[in-house]
Amino acid sequence: MALRLTVQVQLIVQALLRDPAREMYGLELSEETGLQPGTAYPILLRLEHEGWVSSRWEDIDPRAEKRPARRYYRLTAGGAVQASAALSGARRPKGTALRRLAEGGGTA
Amino acid sequence: MMPSIDREERRKKRAPVIGFIVTAALLVSVLLPASWQWLPIAVGTSAAIAVGVTIDPPVGRRRRSGIRERRRGRSSGLSAHSRDDAGEAVDVAAHRWRTLAIVSRLMPRQPGRRWLAEAESLLSEIPAFQRAAAIRSYLRSAPHLIVMMWAREVQRRARLGPRRPG
Repeated sequence: MALRLTVQVQLIVQALLRDPAREMYGLELSEETGLQPGTAYPILLRLEHEGWVSSRWEDIDPRAEKRPARRYYRLTAGGAVQASAALSGARRPKGTALRRLAEGGGTA
Repeated sequence: MMPSIDREERRKKRAPVIGFIVTAALLVSVLLPASWQWLPIAVGTSAAIAVGVTIDPPVGRRRRSGIRERRRGRSSGLSAHSRDDAGEAVDVAAHRWRTLAIVSRLMPRQPGRRWLAEAESLLSEIPAFQRAAAIRSYLRSAPHLIVMMWAREVQRRARLGPRRPG
């Protein structure tokens, strides 16, 4: 099934595309996009199922770091190409849509 | 710190829910033909037991699991017995956290565990005042996720084919 490029999906993909080699974890992504973490998670999962994104658990000792391991996401090589192509073909999110998203915590 | 809502209060809140489930099951079973009357009774009884067991698990079990999590260093301080700060807001967050754990059980095992682990990881780093909103967002997206995950799980099992005995 083709991925539907909603405004939220575009925001996540844009955030990942800013530096395709960089790994980002959920909180970073939700801060950068303004989306609530609960909204970002299903999108990341769908992107992963489509093969656009790969993810891994951070390799740390939670006791030493005093926090649970993070799950890092990054665009795959093919995913970066597909995402750029899809974004260039997609309608850019309008300012009003982004404002509504920011006010509603990413649930618009 | 013990949760502000004590066991007795929880029991009082739970009783009408269980009563409603049982009454509804009986009413529906009366309306159905005799060969189907077992269905609402079975579903209602299961739901009533699930409500009774999951809302307030025995203190010993909760305490043990909290200690286990702390020993493993996996706890984020959100669950009722391992949280490290006080106040009503934290009680609410701990209550919602338990709801997240229950919701994760409605998902297929592996994706459900991953969802809960990611939620725990993220919520442990988020500022306390944003935590409730973040948990709400997880709960809001859960029904959609449950459907999506089960659809994928069914597809995966169909690809694997039927299980062979032995």
